Amino acid sequence: MKLTPNRNISNTEGDAALPRKNGELVFHEAWERRAFALAVVLCEQGHYQWDEFRDHLIAEIGAADKAKAESPDTSFPGYYEHWLASFEKVLIEKGICTPDQLPSKTTK
Amino acid sequence: MGNEHSHGSSAHSAAPNPYLEKHTTPEQTEALENRVRTLESLLIKKGLVSAETLDKMVETYENDIGPLNGAKVVARAWIDPAYKERLLKDATPAIAELGFSGLQGEHMVVVENTPSVHNLVVCTLCSCYPWPVLGLPPAWFKEAAYRSRSVVDPRGVLHDFGLTLDESVAVKVWDSSAEIRYMVLPERPAGTEGMGEEELVALVTRDAMLGVAKVESRVA
Repeated sequence: MKLTPNRNISNTEGDAALPRKNGELVFHEAWERRAFALAVVLCEQGHYQWDEFRDHLIAEIGAADKAKAESPDTSFPGYYEHWLASFEKVLIEKGICTPDQLPSKTTK
Repeated sequence: MGNEHSHGSSAHSAAPNPYLEKHTTPEQTEALENRVRTLESLLIKKGLVSAETLDKMVETYENDIGPLNGAKVVARAWIDPAYKERLLKDATPAIAELGFSGLQGEHMVVVENTPSVHNLVVCTLCSCYPWPVLGLPPAWFKEAAYRSRSVVDPRGVLHDFGLTLDESVAVKVWDSSAEIRYMVLPERPAGTEGMGEEELVALVTRDAMLGVAKVESRVA
């Protein structure tokens, strides 16, 4: 696996674009960095295409944006929470994990 | 970037990205940490990832300077006078013409180097940088020494970068802000008359578009 940035990932545009400040990636907490790495590494190993992951991410973010518009005062998940949810979906979709192996059921 | 910016931090990205602010409570953070840790151990156990690879991968993305889209803008301006005119008049839409967006409300201003005027870009207060066109800022751009000295002694700074300008050349310093990001349109070097756009793109360096170097007629 090559350890050079995949431009498709780096340059993701639109709603699913990686949060950046002045060009630099923004991670608020260590788990976000970790979640980023997991999804990118598995993609780079060929377990799924970037587009397949990104489509989940766009759907998650789109759903949250819609809900946000309806109740603007509620707090909604951050980017890497959407990322994590998308990652779990793609893991199941690709048969890499089974739903009961995933930890998400305890946090939802 | 230690000193996060006193000249309008909110305006740094005028269309506020909701994902730039941390919002999780300590309880949520703990739950998310556990969730990621569980996923990670699961995938390590399956032999799919190693902790070391994960660290290295993040590092490569954090240090990735990204594409020098600005070089394409410069090359286009060199070969297309009408484009150059649009670029110098109103850079933001001219840059968008080539498909480069991602600016979050900041305006781009492109300043042209000529035989009598040399432009230098700095951000004295922090490190505002036209990253959609130039990728990530180089480390020196963020250093206090460059930020303060560029304004008082631009010729000295250029000299340290290996660029000594004739006394007759006026040096203009452009201080980036939350609202305006500058990029230099370097002079097209002599001896490149026969080159096509793609060849020209390869000549244009990040340093030249910040004004600390000139474009050479062949790739270094």
